Amino acid sequence: MRGADYVVRRTGAALLTVFVAITLNFVLFRAVPGSAITALRCFHCTKQFKAALEQELGLNQSMWQQYTIYLGSLAEGDLGTSFTDHRSVWQNLKEPIMNTLPMLVIATVISVVIGVAAGVLSAWRRGTRTDRLNTWTALSFYAMPTQWIGLMVVFYIALRFGFPVAGIRDPTLGILEEPSTWTVIADRLRHLALPALTLGIGLYGEYALIVRSSMLETLGEDYVLTARAKGLKNFNIVWRHGLRNAMLPLVTLIALSFGYILAGAIVIEEVFSYPGIGLAVINAIDQRDYPVLQGAFLLLTFAVIFFNFVADLLYFKLDPRVTA
Amino acid sequence: MTIEALPPAGPGGGLPATDPAPVAGTTSRGVLRQLVLGDRQAAFGSLVLAIFIALALAAPIISPYSPRGKVGPVYAPPSSEHLLGLDDGGIDMLTLLIWGARVSLLVGFAASLMAMLIGGTVGILSGYLGGRTDTVLMRITDYFLVIPDVPLMIVAAAIWGQSLLNIVIIIAVIYWTSTARLIRAQVKSVREQVYVKRARALGAGNIRLIAKHVLPQVTPLLVANTVLTVATAIFAETYIAFLGLGDPSQISWGKLIQNSLSGGAIFSDAWWAIVPPGVCVTLVILACTMVGQSMEDALNPRLKVGHLSVHRFRLRRPPLKAGAE
Amino acid sequence: MSRRGPVLRVEDLHVWFDLPGGELHAVQGVGFELQAGERLGLVGESGCGKTTTILAVMGLLPPNASVAGRVYLDDRDILEGGENTVAPHRWKDVAMVFQGAMNAFNPVKRIGDQIAEPMELHGTATGRATRTRVAELFEMVGIAPERADRYPHEFSGGMRQRAAIAMALACDPQVLLADEPTTALDVMVQAQILELLVRLSEELGLAVVLVTHDLPVVAQTCGRAAVMYAGRMVEDGATADLYHDPKHPYTRLLFSATPDLYAEEHIVSIPGAPPRLDRHIEGCPFQPRCDRAFAPCPTIAPPFITVAPRHAAACHLNDVALERTQ
Repeated sequence: MRGADYVVRRTGAALLTVFVAITLNFVLFRAVPGSAITALRCFHCTKQFKAALEQELGLNQSMWQQYTIYLGSLAEGDLGTSFTDHRSVWQNLKEPIMNTLPMLVIATVISVVIGVAAGVLSAWRRGTRTDRLNTWTALSFYAMPTQWIGLMVVFYIALRFGFPVAGIRDPTLGILEEPSTWTVIADRLRHLALPALTLGIGLYGEYALIVRSSMLETLGEDYVLTARAKGLKNFNIVWRHGLRNAMLPLVTLIALSFGYILAGAIVIEEVFSYPGIGLAVINAIDQRDYPVLQGAFLLLTFAVIFFNFVADLLYFKLDPRVTA
Repeated sequence: MTIEALPPAGPGGGLPATDPAPVAGTTSRGVLRQLVLGDRQAAFGSLVLAIFIALALAAPIISPYSPRGKVGPVYAPPSSEHLLGLDDGGIDMLTLLIWGARVSLLVGFAASLMAMLIGGTVGILSGYLGGRTDTVLMRITDYFLVIPDVPLMIVAAAIWGQSLLNIVIIIAVIYWTSTARLIRAQVKSVREQVYVKRARALGAGNIRLIAKHVLPQVTPLLVANTVLTVATAIFAETYIAFLGLGDPSQISWGKLIQNSLSGGAIFSDAWWAIVPPGVCVTLVILACTMVGQSMEDALNPRLKVGHLSVHRFRLRRPPLKAGAE
Repeated sequence: MSRRGPVLRVEDLHVWFDLPGGELHAVQGVGFELQAGERLGLVGESGCGKTTTILAVMGLLPPNASVAGRVYLDDRDILEGGENTVAPHRWKDVAMVFQGAMNAFNPVKRIGDQIAEPMELHGTATGRATRTRVAELFEMVGIAPERADRYPHEFSGGMRQRAAIAMALACDPQVLLADEPTTALDVMVQAQILELLVRLSEELGLAVVLVTHDLPVVAQTCGRAAVMYAGRMVEDGATADLYHDPKHPYTRLLFSATPDLYAEEHIVSIPGAPPRLDRHIEGCPFQPRCDRAFAPCPTIAPPFITVAPRHAAACHLNDVALERTQ
């Protein structure tokens, strides 16, 4: 396989980063002013309870001991126990993750499709009013706080057109009769539609700008002049020579933007009360449920590192010129 | 063998293959001139920024009401006395916006400045000293880069974020890395330039060299980058505030957006509580982008002539022959 | 192949570029003609407008360019209707080998496919026939046919240039415009490529315009040469004539500026630099650097006059009617 050593090196780097993230996670949460326990907010948390909890969690041991225990339990897949409902952190996060995934996928697809269309159009009509309008629209959406776009969408669109603005499913389904699979799917989609759309619109701007500049750069390449000299029509040149080359940076950008789309998802879920990982994080913050917050931080960080790693590999694989 | 004896051509050589336009000067004065006189985009952006900054600075004088005083019923709609209505606490929205500008802009500029100081120092040291220092600094930078910014920001803000200063520090610490890399690259190229080498040969000390030769070359780029970072910082502050993690005693545009959600503005049909804060944030971020991008473009012109366009070359009638026949 | 007229004739070609700093008059009234099987060397230093000239012949100018003049292909002015009349002739009648074939190829497509592309487009061959034709072309230029499935970066510089020539010949054009085809290649490879061009021109009756700033190349391969300076044509004639009996001081200095490996002469250089083309030039553009300039030179632009059969130059020194003061 071409560049096997490149893959090995990137894997090594990714794993190292994971390790740094884990350590950072540990350090950060031990750095909570007071201790994580004293900051805890829950109803039945008397002083004795908190002391017992501290003992149980081993927070009165030395840092080094705690670190070792921490690594050990991570290796077993144990992310800790939630302070608020005492289930395992993983149990708390599993379903939210499942809920968020389809939203991320749909939002990415939407933003890429709109972004590419806008970018190509702009590059094609470079310097014209269409280009300027397009570019500034993309920039504007990119500049808007994602949560604000969400609020505007809820306010102006959702309520007006009867889209659901909370939750992931219609609570009345299944009360009177067993809903068909199609009804369930349709219901899920209805609840997903606006959040995913909003997220997509907030993000397309970045893609549009990159595609535009990548396309312009490609269109300035010598082989485009060659194609023109060969007698190809403009459209064919763009289609056959331009797109393939211009899209190269886009693929890696999509992978690299994962962190950004995740950030957007968090606030969008708050606005739409969508029970995904974002909302779980926000609730954990509100309740100062540090184990859940820690677990979420780790999972999110791992996911982003993973996608950056994928981006590295993709870039290498897609461009035949890149050597390890 | 080629005609090496002939000196190279003047401007206008081999046009379709090379950059057609001369650079407008890369000195600070040149960039500024281009900015203010030549570039409409930068001028407009600067104007918008100036207006907001002026409003923020003049807040105590020009705000119609107190930002903490209830002056009417919850979510009262806009009227002649309250141009943007009242919020969920009965406080005048326009006042809140003006005071919010103070905090948002302050955090934006302060965080960006701090990021510039950290990143600029790291970049200059790394690029200038090279060798071991460079490797070590770049390793550190890389580690900062690979840790995803948003989860880290959320956690840090959750733990330490209750004061404005902490928020500024957190944002600066997360976003200094791109500046460092950019400056490092620039410093490296400046260092290799002849006059720097000459100065060093003449015995100029490192600090003097950095101050007199490196800094002037690097500063325009640093400033451009800082302006762009302001946009990122304001975006970050808005984000943190929305999650309820900011300084609870301060009003910022981000907080106002949060308030509109928690205060039920949507269901009270109170557009004046929802729309304005977001518009302000968007405008300022766009303005920063306009200015910063123009500056960067002036410093790194990449005017490549495209080979394709909807437009085609034009035909003209041949010029009449001037001069004696 | 018997032709009575020239296969390519350029008359009074002007090209302007509309730039942020002003308007650049890059090509100023250039004209030349080319017979079938003839090789013309277009020489001049960087920036004199030679690349722009041949790009204009194919209409390959950017949108900020404007053109005037006539380009006759077989007695038909293809520049008359702008892009619309030029486009149909691209590659079928006039083809080009670009400067630096490194980038002339799309890096993510196979070479064979890129050569086949114009064939399918212009109907020269389709389907299986293209593969055969590609193999033929490769053989003609001296590349192993199985390399057609490789990518451009897998070819060496010299091979890429050959492939570019093969691609240019794909649709059997009458005219080949070669823009500095041997710059950036080492001397041995250079010689091979030039030899190839000469052979193709002789075997196929291909008319070639070879743009270069390298005079020995012209001497080796081209029967005729045209010298450009500051966007204008200053001399045009048989290569031997230009070498032995130049009628323009620039030509003379050019040829003597090329050091002879075996001679003991000291190196001659031309002081100064070419003029800017964004301002109108009064008189002869070469006058500030000319060693034989005299009274009319700074004020009157010298016309392009014939000094001998098929030998013309733009210099007042050739004008017997003018007063001469040494």
